[in-house]
Amino acid sequence: MRRFVTVLVLLALMGAFAFGVNRFLASRRTVISATVQAPTKSKPKFALPGVMIVAQDGQLYRLQDGEFTSLDLPTDGQWMQPAAVPGQHAVVAVERFAAYSEVFLVSDSGTLLGQLSHNKTGSSTIQYNHWMFWPRVAQDGHTVLVSYDAPKSIDSYEIDFAIWKGDLSSSLVQEQLSDPNGYTGGDTQAQPLPDGSFIYAKYTINNEALLSQIALQKGAHDDPALLTSTDDDCGQPALSPDGTQLAMICIGGTSGQSSRLEVASFNGTALGTPRVLVQDCLCSSPAWAPDGSGLVYYNTADATGHFELWWLAGAATAAPKPTKLVTTSDDFDATSAPAWTAS
Amino acid sequence: MRKRASARPRRRWRRRLVAGLLIALCFVVAGAGGTLAYFFPAIVTAFQVTGHTIDRSKESAAPSESAHAAASVAPAPSPTSAAPGQPFTVLLLGSDNDEKFAPGQVLTQSMILCRINPATKQVVMLSLSRDMYVPLSTGGTDKIDKAYLYGGASAAVTTVENDFDVHVDHYAWIGLLGLVNLIDKVGGIDVVATNPVLDDFYPADISGTNPYDYERVAVLPGPQHMNGIQALEYVRSRHGDLRSDYGRSQRQQEVLLALRAKAKLLGLSDLPDIANAMANDFNTDMSISQVASLLPLASNITLGNVQQIILLPPYTEAAQVGSQDVLIANWNLILPLVHQYFPAQ
Repeated sequence: MRRFVTVLVLLALMGAFAFGVNRFLASRRTVISATVQAPTKSKPKFALPGVMIVAQDGQLYRLQDGEFTSLDLPTDGQWMQPAAVPGQHAVVAVERFAAYSEVFLVSDSGTLLGQLSHNKTGSSTIQYNHWMFWPRVAQDGHTVLVSYDAPKSIDSYEIDFAIWKGDLSSSLVQEQLSDPNGYTGGDTQAQPLPDGSFIYAKYTINNEALLSQIALQKGAHDDPALLTSTDDDCGQPALSPDGTQLAMICIGGTSGQSSRLEVASFNGTALGTPRVLVQDCLCSSPAWAPDGSGLVYYNTADATGHFELWWLAGAATAAPKPTKLVTTSDDFDATSAPAWTAS
Repeated sequence: MRKRASARPRRRWRRRLVAGLLIALCFVVAGAGGTLAYFFPAIVTAFQVTGHTIDRSKESAAPSESAHAAASVAPAPSPTSAAPGQPFTVLLLGSDNDEKFAPGQVLTQSMILCRINPATKQVVMLSLSRDMYVPLSTGGTDKIDKAYLYGGASAAVTTVENDFDVHVDHYAWIGLLGLVNLIDKVGGIDVVATNPVLDDFYPADISGTNPYDYERVAVLPGPQHMNGIQALEYVRSRHGDLRSDYGRSQRQQEVLLALRAKAKLLGLSDLPDIANAMANDFNTDMSISQVASLLPLASNITLGNVQQIILLPPYTEAAQVGSQDVLIANWNLILPLVHQYFPAQ
């Protein structure tokens, strides 16, 4: 009887040990989950001044006084690409759906103030839908530039973004400004300048490679002045508040698997020699501080690949400070530059 | 009497030692059982997807003379496999394998010939455009992506060997869902999207109910994190790109390299998940040990040691054959290039 009990106990212990080994191995799996926690679950390592609206996992968040707050926008689509509206406590932002995207006016506390575009078709022919991305509001507080996938034909494969001009109080697509190079993806990320001209990223094909150049254009359908070379392959232009410095993301000369953050002086017509501020990174979506004292951008913090917010003080100076990681576990939408205002 | 008294504790001690050893053995067996149970699904999958053989019997029947007629070529390389530690060549094949196609009857939308040098940790990736109009090892001349359709991996491998005058040591085939699942299992990948990828005629064969439907795709440019579906859209779309298949080949290589970066993070404990993700959408003629030896190698290769080649014009020229848009290979240029980067052992 005693032996029988001993054997039973031994078998039970063996089973438990086998289970334990099994679970131990399972616990050693690499934790590289695609889903990360909402920014509201953590705090930035330090507070940045002003109010910043950022996009993560289809929702917008306000970062103020070192605290994230969700704007709690309806979750029928994916919210992204917020951009400040000068003179208002509001942003324009994109809500992306499977076959189209819309631009909305949203207060910085999360109230939907209006739908500014109507890109969804009522037809079952999905090609009648439209994409609209990268809305930017000019200093006058009402002129809006967007990248819009028109004109296009539903009988053609050709579909490219062009820069369009509109108004916050009426249509966002009143006038087509740029003429994209066909079958390249087109013109993106327009930045309105005070004199009515605009800077944007223009895609072109050179030696069978699709490359981006920073373009400056005065008026509708004017020939753009190309401020960077195809070799540099730069895009995502971000002009400093005083208009004298242009931050951009360049991938030319890299392996194609990394990027670099550059800043160049801008005199209204041309760029100075660019300074590489961060290289061999996955830097994306730079945005200047409202007082021009530095800029934020996204980059991965470790090999798991989550895009975090980084701060670079003195980006406009000849001696910028070392970069500082602001957040550590948030995985922001790297295609959505933060909207940063003073208040 | 005294002798018997001193032997008793010795026997008891021996009995305890044996019992202790038996108990330890039991726990070793239990631990091995727990380990086996953990890796069992991966082991089963590994046996199912690895070790497929290539039938090279049609190699000599291939119409290679037309492919090489204009080029002076070296003698065909020996069909022996590379010795361990020596450079070897793998043909990577990627297919649409949704319900539009009968199982195994698929085209290879992606064909990338890789040469891996374990000693120098250098890799050469040569994308073979799916539209290249070449002699097939199964007979006749057609787009290279049809070799797999007509004769599976064997035909794809022998077609590449015959036409490009290169020895292929191994092949690895992956289907659409296999790629999506693999990328999702590694937590997504970080890609620097080179340009906006817009496509109003992207096949809705994964997300929709009708595989012949279309959906709209917009991949935005710049560095970003992609899940499996997004990465697939990025590598698969070609309608909105003037470079058509060239652009797609470039994007496929980018995603492969991004996957390599994520492979660095994986360990042995991740194998069951990875095997489960790719179970029905992956096969190779490599053995389990060969696949296992590739994993650490992949994580040790730096981007600077990866040479990416795409057969742009003048290596290929667009043309029309019948109703098909094809690429005509300029063998006079291609073969010296292949010999340079894929030398015979």
